[in-house]
This record gives sequence, C-alpha cells and structure tokens, in this order.
Amino acid sequence: MGSKKRIVITGMGTLNALAGNVADFATALQKGQCGIKAIDLFDTTGFRSQTGGQIKNFVAGDYIPSDFSIKRMSRADKLSLAATVQALRDAGLYPLPHKFKEETGIVLGGGAGGLLEAEPFYRDYLNRDGRNAKFSTLSSLFCASSADRIASALGLTGPKSTFMTACSAGATAIGCARDLIVNDDASIMITGGVEPMSRLTYAAFNALKSVDPETCRPFDKERAGLSLGEAAAILILESLGSALQRGAKIYGEILGYGITCDSYHMTAPDEQASGAVRSMQAALQDSGLSSEQIDYINAHGTATPVNDVTETRAIKVVFGKRAYSIPVSSTKSMHAHTLGASGALEAVVSILAIQQGFIPPTINYRQSDPACDLDYVTSGSRRADLRTVLSNSFAFGGNNTTLIFGKYSEKGTAHE
Amino acid sequence: MNDRRQIDNAQRVVVTGTGMVTPLGIGRKEFGRRLFAGETGIAEISSFDTSRLSSHLGAEVTGFHPRDFISVKNIRRMDRISLMAAASARLALDDAGMQITDANRDRVGIVLGTAFGATDITAQFLQTLFKEGPSAVNPILVPNTVMNAAAGHTSIELGFRGVNTTVTHFAVSAENAIAYAAAEIRRGTADFIFAGGADILSEFYYKALTRFRALSPRGGGQESCRPFDKDRNGTVAGEGCGIICLESLQSALARGRQPYCEIRGAGMGSSPARPNVWPREFKGIQLTFHRALKNAEISIHDVQAIFAAANGDRILDNTEAEAYSEIFADKKPFITSIKGALGESFSGGGIRACALALAMEKKSLPPTAGLTSPLKPLAFVTEEKKEIEIRHAALAGVSFGGTYCYLIFGR
Repeated sequence: MGSKKRIVITGMGTLNALAGNVADFATALQKGQCGIKAIDLFDTTGFRSQTGGQIKNFVAGDYIPSDFSIKRMSRADKLSLAATVQALRDAGLYPLPHKFKEETGIVLGGGAGGLLEAEPFYRDYLNRDGRNAKFSTLSSLFCASSADRIASALGLTGPKSTFMTACSAGATAIGCARDLIVNDDASIMITGGVEPMSRLTYAAFNALKSVDPETCRPFDKERAGLSLGEAAAILILESLGSALQRGAKIYGEILGYGITCDSYHMTAPDEQASGAVRSMQAALQDSGLSSEQIDYINAHGTATPVNDVTETRAIKVVFGKRAYSIPVSSTKSMHAHTLGASGALEAVVSILAIQQGFIPPTINYRQSDPACDLDYVTSGSRRADLRTVLSNSFAFGGNNTTLIFGKYSEKGTAHE
Repeated sequence: MNDRRQIDNAQRVVVTGTGMVTPLGIGRKEFGRRLFAGETGIAEISSFDTSRLSSHLGAEVTGFHPRDFISVKNIRRMDRISLMAAASARLALDDAGMQITDANRDRVGIVLGTAFGATDITAQFLQTLFKEGPSAVNPILVPNTVMNAAAGHTSIELGFRGVNTTVTHFAVSAENAIAYAAAEIRRGTADFIFAGGADILSEFYYKALTRFRALSPRGGGQESCRPFDKDRNGTVAGEGCGIICLESLQSALARGRQPYCEIRGAGMGSSPARPNVWPREFKGIQLTFHRALKNAEISIHDVQAIFAAANGDRILDNTEAEAYSEIFADKKPFITSIKGALGESFSGGGIRACALALAMEKKSLPPTAGLTSPLKPLAFVTEEKKEIEIRHAALAGVSFGGTYCYLIFGR
C-alpha cells in the first residue's frame, strides 16, 4: 500500500516530567533519568500512590510569548500552546508566515482537558448546592479547547480536530494529521497530544488499582502497575516537497500508521494480543516495510502486569524469532504514562532516537520475568544507527495505534 | 477500462445503512416518518427537575429499551451514551444487511463523535470522590468516564475489530468523525466503518448549559427552538445518536446493496474565534464549504440542499445564513435544519447524516420545525417537507470556538 506523498517531521516541542524542551529531553533519555517523583500539584492523601511524572514549576509565561492571551486557559491549553510555539520555532515557522496560515491545521490527542481547573468548581457545586460555583471555570473543561485556543492564537484556518481515545489519542492524531496532508486537505499540520494531571484521572487509575504505589517497572517480574504522568508533545508535519522547498531541517519521516480494536474488554487487553498484533501489522503494511526492517520498538510498556506480557506476546507473533534480537524499551519508566499525550510523546522519543542515534533504556528494571523475555535495554541507553522505529500505543476501550518512523533518506527507507 | 472502474469504485465511499436513537424515535422507520411529518421531539424535560432553572425544554430520548438491541451480559457494564451508540450501530448494521463474522470483523470499524461524552457518569464519579473520598470511588464507573467508552462498548457488543476511534470536537464531532471514517475507507484500512455521533442530556450538563446562557429563552420571550427564524431566542438542548454504515461502492455492489447515497467529499477548516462562542464571521464557513466542493469535484451550482447547523442561536443562525447568501449568488439551494425538531445535541451531525440519507431515498427534504419568519430570503424548507429529487446535498458542521466540517453527499 504505502502513501503516495511522503510526510516528514520538521519541528518538535515538548514539556514533560523530564524536561521543558526537546534538547533537554533527549539528554535525559540518553542518561536514563527518572521523572517520576512525589506529586505536589494536588493532595494525594488517601490514594494508593503518591508519585507521578509531574511537570514541576511550570510557568506559562516562560514559554508562551506575551502577545498571546492565556486568560482562562487550562493547564492543558497552556502546556500544548507552549509546546506548539517550541515546535514551530524548531521548524523555522515561528511566527507562522501569513501565506501558510490558510493551509495549516491542527489535530491533537486530548485527555483530561481542564479537569484540574474544574475540580474546585465541582467541590463548590456539590458542597453548597451550587450557589457559589463559578461556571466560568469550566470554559476550558473539554479537551477540544486546546486545539481551539492554539488555532485561534496562531490565526490558523486549516483543518481542526481532536481525538479522545485515552492512551492512544496522541498517536491517532498524528496518523490522522499525516493523512490530511497526504489527501491535500492541508500543507502543514500541527499535531500531537496533551495530557494534564488531574485528581479525577489520578483517582480513576487508583480505583482500578492499576498504578504502582512506587515507581513503574516496565517488563520487570515485580511490576505492579503504571505511573501516571503529564506532558504536551507537538510535532510539525509537512510534505517532503514542502520541507525541501523551505530548506527545512528534516527530523525523519512517518512511514506507517495502523489502527485496530481489541473488541474484548474495556480495561484489559485481549490476552491473545490479537488487537496489538493487527495494529503492528497494519502499520507495517501501510509503511511497505517488512518486519525485518524494524530496528527498535518503542513499546507501550505501561508496567501493568497484563499489558507487558501481552505486548511481548504480540511482538513475538509479528516478528517471529527476530523478536529476540530487536531492542524493545518502555520510556514510560522515565517520563511516566502520559495517557492522551503518550503516543505523541513517544513519537518524539522515537524521532530523537533516530536523529541522535541511540536506543533509550527501560529504567527501574531489576528482575527478569520469564513471560517477558525480550531485549528490553535495561542497562542504560545504547548507541545505534536506527533507520526505523515502531511505536505502540494501546488504550482502554481496546483502541490500538501503531506508528512507524524512519530516518530521512532521499530514496526512502523502504527502498534501501 | 474494466480495471480502471474497479479502482474508482474502491475509492468511492457510500452509505448503505442508517441507525439512530433520537427524540423523534428509534430506527429509520419511526424516525423518518415523524421527521418528515414535521413532528417535534422537543418537550418539557422529564428526567430531572428544571423548576429552578431558566430553561425547561429539551429533546429527550424516550421509550428506549436497550434490551431490544443489546445483549444482556453487556448491558450492565454500559452507560446511557454507550447504550445509545451500541443500539444505533446495531440498527445501522441491520439496515445495511450486514452480518459480522470471523471472516470480516477485523475489517469492520467504528468512528464515533461525541462532544461531551458521559457527562452523567463524570458528575457521579466526582461527587463520590469529593464527598466520600478516593477509597469510595467505584472502579466499575471508571471506564465509562472516558470519551472513547461508547465506541469501545459498541465494538465489544457487535464484534468490530477494525479501525476504532473517537473524535471530540464540540459541535463538529460527528462531521469530523464521518470525514475521517470516509478517508479510512479510501485508505483501504477497513471494509466497513460505522460513523456518527452520540451525546446525552444529563442534569449537570443541562444546568451548565443554562448557566452559560446557551439555551432559549435568551433575552425573554417564549422558550422554543426556531432555527433561522427572526424571532429565535436560543437553542434547546437535545440528545441522541445517529450512525451511518460506510463502505466502498465496490463492496456495496459486490454485496448487491443499493446505497442510500455517496459521500462525495469533505472539507475541514477553522477560523480564529473566542472560545465557547459561535463564530460571528462567515469566512470559516465559506472557506470550508469551498474546500468540500473542491474535494467532491463539484461546483456550488450542483448543491441542491443543505442540512444546516443552525439551532436557533442568535449568532450561529445569522452567521450561517449570511454565509449561504454570500456563497450562492442567484441559484439558491434548499436549506433545512432538523435541529428545530431535535434540538442541539452537538454531535447531532450523525443524526443529520442519517436524515440526509433518508431524504435522498424519499426524494424529499424534511422541514425546519419552528421556522415561520425566515431571517433572510433564502430557500428555507419551513414547516412543510419539500418534495425534490436530490443529486447533491451538503451537511454543515459549524462549531463554537471556530471549527467547521462540510460533507458533500451525492446520489
């Protein structure tokens, strides 16, 4: 199959628990640092866990130029606008030239939106019969508002949409954005995902007992759940022709996008791993690559007992014997699980790995699990010349998305 | 020559089924009969007390018995929005004459739009969290607080294992979902995609809408929903789900199915706007409409009917009417807004897509309930349906916050 038009990444921006920009993020990934620490964004008393991948000391004004009004923006809106400004600057598109505004669109993966800001509202609403509740605090409650705020701030008139499929939203947004350019619906797409921490999300994952009380340990025998995090991760996509014409720096290429459904259980993956297998196969088919051509797998690797063993099984089905010789790592061990942003954040990880020639590690790993017996890159990052990276995102609701990224070469990765 | 046609038919996306749970009835027969007869689904809200609120009307789904459509073992895990979505998808599946088997389920998907998701469950969850603390939170509620729950439950109930995602972008959620689904069919990643939108009325959500002064009666007068009317004074909140079955023309022909219509093209766009406010300028509509026409490879003169976004809001209806006055110089298409009968459910583009498909089949345009004195001299279908054989019609998606999606349907 494959797409007729080649789509490349020309800019990236991110704020997450490890770093407030792409350069520092790359350094932290190479060093194997851990961003999962005690949370101070809200009171965690009474919860199973007290840690997470929080963005500490975030001051919007440090990132967002003062000509943008951030009044009534949620944490999610500010984080995503901050990452967008970084990504556009990185792409040499800031301020966005007027001639591009009409053909530039935005597709994001959303999450908790303005829930953090809505919490005091709900409390007032419930406790005092609603009389003191300020409904204006709900003005950025829903996750679609981040794309609205960014598009309005930048004066965009291209396509705009938001996906909300929990942990795969960011990856799906990137796949959709790519296809909007392929289909000539836009020339440049701002895409990615944002997930702010909120008590509701924290309470939800704690109630499901799917969080590790300490720090998540992907693929470890004693793994006890995920660590929740927050992030904004934004990528600038454009056609290869447009990037070359502009003389833009090319980070890499989006080679494949696959999307499937487990149709099995709302919160547990299908143990036969059929949905995950088909998602990776669909992305491979879309890319025109064979499974032999994948150099590194950036796993979903949440560190829940069932995800890691299921994902391992799925990788073995897709890659056969070669599964044992492909490095697989879960960078969630460093930046935590950022839910709606995770597919986009891990896209940034994948592209940095290709661009800077390293495989990021799975940290916090202590004890091997017989059911998880692949090469999880557990003793620090490795130097490696990567041509391709496959990145998985699997979500509650059985939503699976796989993206494949490639090193940019004139001929195209599939033909080397 | 033969080969060439095969390729074309694989790239042409058609609608072969409709399914809906709406305030005007459940399933195409009842919905179609009442919609085209000019009945309204708007009445006093019955599911919660509105006596202390500034609005009292709503378009509620009544007489919905999930057991008629959904297996008992799955029902207990599902919330109201998921039940409506699963029932609508089941109806669309049956209407399309489809059977889900092990041979096809990996190539059957669902793309659902929802503006606000399960507002009832989220409020319930937060109430427990803040009143009783973290340990009292019921884990069973958790999966349903996430917006993709309805599509997830539906895929489990019906066994869809292909493309599955949820779009949430306020009042264009369903239109964006349908546009994305059509693109996925063309990309060849699925053989069938069920696409549309679902939203529900809940007490908390209704209260929030009244506090945001989004509902009729704004500025006094009688409470009502009157799209494009001079005397409109705000919209009325609605709920429901509408889902269409999409497949390639090649697939429909191979199955011997006569499609309702074809999705000829889509256009998406945005315009700088204040958050949560309907756009006052029509540039976004104009730009997006032209994108959709270009994508569909037809000219504006080919558009005979528009299923409008107008919902009775002072700003939205005026902007949309101004846009059409500007876009269509002399030969004006017929314009109808079924929100007059169904209220504003934000992801109502799914139900409107179903109505459009039925209109193509019935060779008739449904009326705009509540419209008696049009705000502009456009060819509105007022309180009587209009008999017309439609070759091309547009479905308008316009959202507060400045987001647009126009879909062009062809016979």
